[in-house]
Amino acid sequence: MIQIEHLHKTYRSGFLMKPKLALKDVSFHVEPGQIYGFIGPNGAGKSTTIKVLTGLLNFDSGKVLVNGISPRDVKSRRFIGYSPEQPYFYDYLTGRELLQFYGKLVGLEGNLLNERITWALQLLHADKDWIDRRLRSYSKGMMQRVGIAQAILGKPKLLILDEPMSGLDPMGRRDVREAILELNRDGVTIFYSSHLLSDVESISHRVAMIVDGRIVREGTVDEITDSCGIEYHVRTREAIAVKDLPEGVVLAGHPQEVICADDVARDRLLRYCLDNSIAVERMEHKRPSLEDVLTEEIARADA
Amino acid sequence: MQTLKHIGIIALNTFRESIRDKILYNIGLLAVGLALFSIVLGEWSVFDRAYVIKSTTLSVMSLSGLLISIFVGISLVQKEIQRRTVLTLLSKPISRATFIVGKYLGLLAVVAVHLALLTCIYYSILFLTNSEPTVSLLTAIYLIFWELAVVIAVALLFSSFSSTTLSALFTLGVYFAGHLSDQLLEQVRFVNKMREVSDSSAALLEKLAVVIHAVFPGLYRYNVTSYVVHGLALPDMYLFWNTVYAIGYVGVFLAIASWWFSRRDFL
Ligand SMILES: Nc1ncnc2c1ncn2[C@@H]1O[C@H](COP(=O)(O)OP(=O)(O)O)[C@@H](O)[C@H]1O
Ligand SMILES: [Mg+2]
Repeated sequence: MIQIEHLHKTYRSGFLMKPKLALKDVSFHVEPGQIYGFIGPNGAGKSTTIKVLTGLLNFDSGKVLVNGISPRDVKSRRFIGYSPEQPYFYDYLTGRELLQFYGKLVGLEGNLLNERITWALQLLHADKDWIDRRLRSYSKGMMQRVGIAQAILGKPKLLILDEPMSGLDPMGRRDVREAILELNRDGVTIFYSSHLLSDVESISHRVAMIVDGRIVREGTVDEITDSCGIEYHVRTREAIAVKDLPEGVVLAGHPQEVICADDVARDRLLRYCLDNSIAVERMEHKRPSLEDVLTEEIARADA
Repeated sequence: MQTLKHIGIIALNTFRESIRDKILYNIGLLAVGLALFSIVLGEWSVFDRAYVIKSTTLSVMSLSGLLISIFVGISLVQKEIQRRTVLTLLSKPISRATFIVGKYLGLLAVVAVHLALLTCIYYSILFLTNSEPTVSLLTAIYLIFWELAVVIAVALLFSSFSSTTLSALFTLGVYFAGHLSDQLLEQVRFVNKMREVSDSSAALLEKLAVVIHAVFPGLYRYNVTSYVVHGLALPDMYLFWNTVYAIGYVGVFLAIASWWFSRRDFL
């Protein structure tokens, strides 16, 4: 559905056209039917990649195909629904007028158009009376819902969402998450960026992690978190002095808690506790979250 | 077919945007006010009343149309880019050229409605003041429309690659150059002939005037006020050829704007 290979993109800005390499050798594939999460810190290149996919940006080199068609070709956009980051629309229109406008542009008319608008609004829990007010008065959350609604009107095969959960309260995030799952059940492929990693973790089939313009991890959530190694969190009855900590063991946030980086460090710590008659209260086997992996990758990129 | 439909949808939305914009009403009100003021001018002036009213109202139409064309024209595309509405719009299956042409036609429709309303007011004034409301005035208004059609295309072209302020200045520049280019050429030729000696600087000046005359759209063709108010006949096929001329320029300007637009990045 999406095929990106060795994509490079340079921005030129300012009077001197100072170049800024925003994407460096980005490659990944999204297969039909997937929910694909695209994560990374601010400024990593998520929106840039998405704008290349939707044909809004040119790129230096590489191969980009959407449904087998180049995004520079208008035809590629027949299969795509896209909601930009912080969607902003014509504020002289009402939400419904806006959806009518975009619906017509994807070839809907008459009853079908109205049915689709009702369907999209229900899916996003936006079928409230504010939909007939001018967009000028909308909150961020309302804008976000209208943004996604306009993207799905044409029943696209591929839905591309840039930070669809940002600006939403917890309920709004749940609504969007559920809308994504529901659309995916109907066969829509979804490619979306987010920095809210717990949401990504819970609904994505696969994830690509981008840091500083490079893809650093790609795979299922399990594959990515496994690759980071497994830690043990150990709680002892009394605190252990920092100087006495065995190799590979570090203090955690709590004074009586330490973290062992691997099995060897765990065994060293247990031996130390036995030798010094320190009681171990509990030990937890912690699988790192996406957030842990991302933090590690950001630290590595900075180094 | 699909493309034509898309152009229509975008044009309609542009029309709606413009008529919900305050600037339009300000210009419109100003135009109506000035047209009414022409009655007073007609009474006071030493010239024939009908002559004064006719020439003033035609100028008001031309100028207020110019203001709309420039100020709304340069913001048409800029606004979409600044507010980033262009991102959603261009992610739909429409080409950049469709976008440009749709925007253009939307504003052209606004200008047409503006002129039509003023025309009604104009004729009412002429009837009420008994000032010979002749049909020939419509030809002057028709030509004003085509002049503005060119000006909007110029504004759209400039605003697709420069800031709003610069676009306004450039568009005004083209407007004045287009109005003065034939006089300039005439004057330069006249002076050169009078001096009888031909030096290189005179030749250069004449070449420059020729180039300006050739490149800038000859907007002076669209001002036929003096013919109309004096009841003189225009040359044969004048309307036809100047319509073709305007459409030619509009086509070229929109093609350049679309070409540029299809190469640029949207951030
Ligand atoms: N218009 C621009 N001109 C110059 N640099 C830009 C521009 N837009 C984005 N960038 C740079 O490109 C990088 C990626 O930006 P972006 O794709 O927006 O990141 P993300 O969406 O992941 O937060 C950033 O470092 C940003 O500074
Ligand atoms: Mg972004």
